[in-house]
Amino acid sequence: MSWWQDHLRIAAETMRFVSASLGTSFLVWLLVGIALALPSGLLLLQLNLAEMTSAWDGRPGLSVYFEVGAEESSVRAVGQQLEAHPHIERVEITTAAEALANFQAHSGLADALELLDENPLPASLRAVLKAGASMPDLDAAGASVVDAEAVADLVIEKTWMQRVLDASQVVNRLGIILGLLFGVGAVLVTATSVRLAIESRLDELRVLKLVGATAGQMRRPFLYFGAFYGFGGGLVAAMLISLCLVLIENPLANLLGSYGRDLETAGFDPIFLVGLLCVGGLLGVIGALLAAKQRLVRLEVL
Amino acid sequence: MGQIEFHGVTKRFDSGFEALKDITAEFAEGSMTFLTGHSGAGKSTFLKLLLCLDRVTRGQILVNGINVTQLKAKRLAYYRRNVGTVFQDHHLLAHRNIFDNVALPLRVNGMREREVGRRVRAALSRVGLLPKERLLPQFLSTGEQQRVGIARAVVTRPKILLADEPTGNLDPELSKNIMELFRQFNEVGTTVLVASHDRALIESMGAPIVELAQGRIVAGHRGG
Ligand SMILES: Nc1ncnc2c1ncn2[C@@H]1O[C@H](COP(=O)(O)OP(=O)(O)O)[C@@H](O)[C@H]1O
Ligand SMILES: [Mg+2]
Repeated sequence: MSWWQDHLRIAAETMRFVSASLGTSFLVWLLVGIALALPSGLLLLQLNLAEMTSAWDGRPGLSVYFEVGAEESSVRAVGQQLEAHPHIERVEITTAAEALANFQAHSGLADALELLDENPLPASLRAVLKAGASMPDLDAAGASVVDAEAVADLVIEKTWMQRVLDASQVVNRLGIILGLLFGVGAVLVTATSVRLAIESRLDELRVLKLVGATAGQMRRPFLYFGAFYGFGGGLVAAMLISLCLVLIENPLANLLGSYGRDLETAGFDPIFLVGLLCVGGLLGVIGALLAAKQRLVRLEVL
Repeated sequence: MGQIEFHGVTKRFDSGFEALKDITAEFAEGSMTFLTGHSGAGKSTFLKLLLCLDRVTRGQILVNGINVTQLKAKRLAYYRRNVGTVFQDHHLLAHRNIFDNVALPLRVNGMREREVGRRVRAALSRVGLLPKERLLPQFLSTGEQQRVGIARAVVTRPKILLADEPTGNLDPELSKNIMELFRQFNEVGTTVLVASHDRALIESMGAPIVELAQGRIVAGHRGG
């Protein structure tokens, strides 16, 4: 079919043109690649943070520390009071004796402690918020017991994972903003490069117009350019991201290891790669369309 | 009814200058006509409007009864495929060999490569350049380049052939040679319209002449 012949010939010509100006093409790839790598890297980060936070119980809670030697009944009373609170899911009490046992088991100072005739550790409890409850609810729960008998200290904790959750929302927003900015950047880079390609082939375009080429036919080689630049940019972005992953693999493994997690970066899979290439190609074609529309519409033939 | 008809065509440029003033003329199918006049008389503008490379300010241009000034972009492209064009600077593509230059309109038409090869060779042998099909234009003489331009214009076997100063850079003998080529294409039925300021040359051809001066027809076809 001649339509295919035409496409094949134009694709071949595009390849020839690109390989004739390999330096420029490589530069365009690099620019588009960097523009794509940043937002898609953030997307990966966000995917991983979301994964972590969903895997862990990231719900915030509060801890109550009692005075040393507080009556067990006072401790239980506070525990019950909190358990009855509408936003508290459960309460875990650590009695002074349990605290001591834990300490002895983990610190290796069992003998030293035996020298003391009194248990120096306080009782404590930890209350976990119900799913869907907010930080003000937690504050309210804390306020309801802060003045109770034998309560020495109250720590309302935003858990580590709560912070991660917040951070991942920031990363998310940042990713969207950067994605838009750099997406526009990638489009402009390809548009500019395609524009240069158009300028360098104006003679040919004039003749084409003269012999009756349609707007689509005149655009076609440049859409190939755009797709080629964008696709190559996607490839460069994939390489940049995997390079980054190699570089941060060790420190990241250490970080996650200290929280009892194994390193497995979610999201950097074939689907992500194909998506990256497609988005690159698409942005390239959009850039090329912009450039072609802008330049070819006002093409003076003679 | 003429194959090409101008009805009250006026072209005023943005500067306010009127290059064509109320031109009415017609050219019969299979005719050969020379368009002449001094430099600046409006010959090129006339041909440009006929090809719809610029818009008329007033009037109509009918080709085979269709008002081409109203054509939408796509139809306009298809219309141009039926009109062969030759220009003084022949607009050959410097980086393509002779064969590919001549093949361009056929490929735009979406013709199969085998048929393209056949047609290009036929056109090149008509202008006597078949042995040079693999050369780049820069290795051809000016006269040869102009013949390549003509081969490109006729390779699609257009019904209408337009030429704007096709002998501009050529010596008298080569010029005569080129004009004879146009006559040959006319003899097989193509409507030929050649703009040239070279009075002596076109008078020697013995074909009808339309003379323009300051945007008006002053000799030849006049009025409706
Ligand atoms: N784009 C333009 N804007 C203003 N004036 C123009 C333009 N193109 C041509 N002209 C003027 O129109 C007149 C006719 O030009 P042209 O048709 O090229 O004449 P010819 O081909 O007979 O030498 C000339 O005076 C020329 O300067
Ligand atoms: Mg002229």
